[in-house]
Amino acid sequence: MDLPKIDIASLPDLDVMTGIFGSMLEAARVQCSDDTVVILMTFLYELNLTI
Amino acid sequence: MNIHPVLRALGADPALLRNSLETMRRSAARWRERDEVAGVLAQMEGFAAGLAIEECPALAALFRQGDCAARELALGFVAETAAALANASLGYVGAPHFADGVLSTLLLARSGNVTLSLVAVDGAGLSEMPAPVTVDFSDCEIWSHVLSGTARAEQVERIGCDGNGAAFDRRMLRLGPGTVFNRDARRFALLVHEVEGSLVSLRLQRRRAAAAPTREYALADGTMVHQAAGNARDSRSELMMALLGRMERADAAPLLAELAREAGAAALRWQALRECLALDTLTGFRTLSAVADTVDDELAAPARALRARLVKTHPRLAEIGPCQA
Repeated sequence: MDLPKIDIASLPDLDVMTGIFGSMLEAARVQCSDDTVVILMTFLYELNLTI
Repeated sequence: MNIHPVLRALGADPALLRNSLETMRRSAARWRERDEVAGVLAQMEGFAAGLAIEECPALAALFRQGDCAARELALGFVAETAAALANASLGYVGAPHFADGVLSTLLLARSGNVTLSLVAVDGAGLSEMPAPVTVDFSDCEIWSHVLSGTARAEQVERIGCDGNGAAFDRRMLRLGPGTVFNRDARRFALLVHEVEGSLVSLRLQRRRAAAAPTREYALADGTMVHQAAGNARDSRSELMMALLGRMERADAAPLLAELAREAGAAALRWQALRECLALDTLTGFRTLSAVADTVDDELAAPARALRARLVKTHPRLAEIGPCQA
């Protein structure tokens, strides 16, 4: 069957968009409330020497 | 360029750097081997697997009011690390850490989706920050025990929410040495407003395996202002899918179709559908149809709408039947 190629840009997103993990609107706020920073830093600190 | 003689020496002699790393590594190992620490670490795995905290007595003791276990654990780490740094002044503390002048976090231990960390909020730094205007709720449980410092904080309870916003019950709290504050972060958030000196806490967090999105609301009126993936794995998968899409890896389409159909975050599954449709029209459209025809799937309605739109634009798609395999 000869099917059309669909352009991804033509495909809609959901009504409520979901940002990437750790993204926030109020970026200036001190993130002392949960573990987001802790999880992100395990991506940023790949050295992982001891733990 | 001026290079400090100590740094120059370190650069000139790889053995020095190795020794310094080894000193730090040994100090961390000594700390982990302490009886009180080994017991905690041993129980983190079971806790990550879903045991209640009461079933992990060493962990529970860390977050019991009046128990000195948390203080001993943290002091033990600080003592070992400080002693090691005295011998290796440019030593790297191997525990993942973060500091931005206000918040400092040091990850002491991790097992799967459970983290145990030391968190310090600097009062002087905090006083220069604007007052918070949003609050967020994430899909995790948090146990915290204040080890030193005092703070004026606020507990924000989400008492009702729909797709657009939430209502809050807000109450002020005093945090001080010995305060234990345990919460389900889906319902309770903590805002720290003012700290005298530095507020240091030991914190245990367990993020649910398939954590729902984190939602951020305006404090003023409860409007939802942002939603973010609840776990890093979803975001990583989304980035990988986008990369496969841009690389035009049509051979990834069956995998994307699988992701779109299995249980998971709606946002991730929808992106899998989009990428799948763009890479392989036949596989993508069949998957879209399967999702559209599923009862009780939150993506069924948007999938039906998209299917109708695609068929209108490309009438040939109407000829595609379900997969015979």
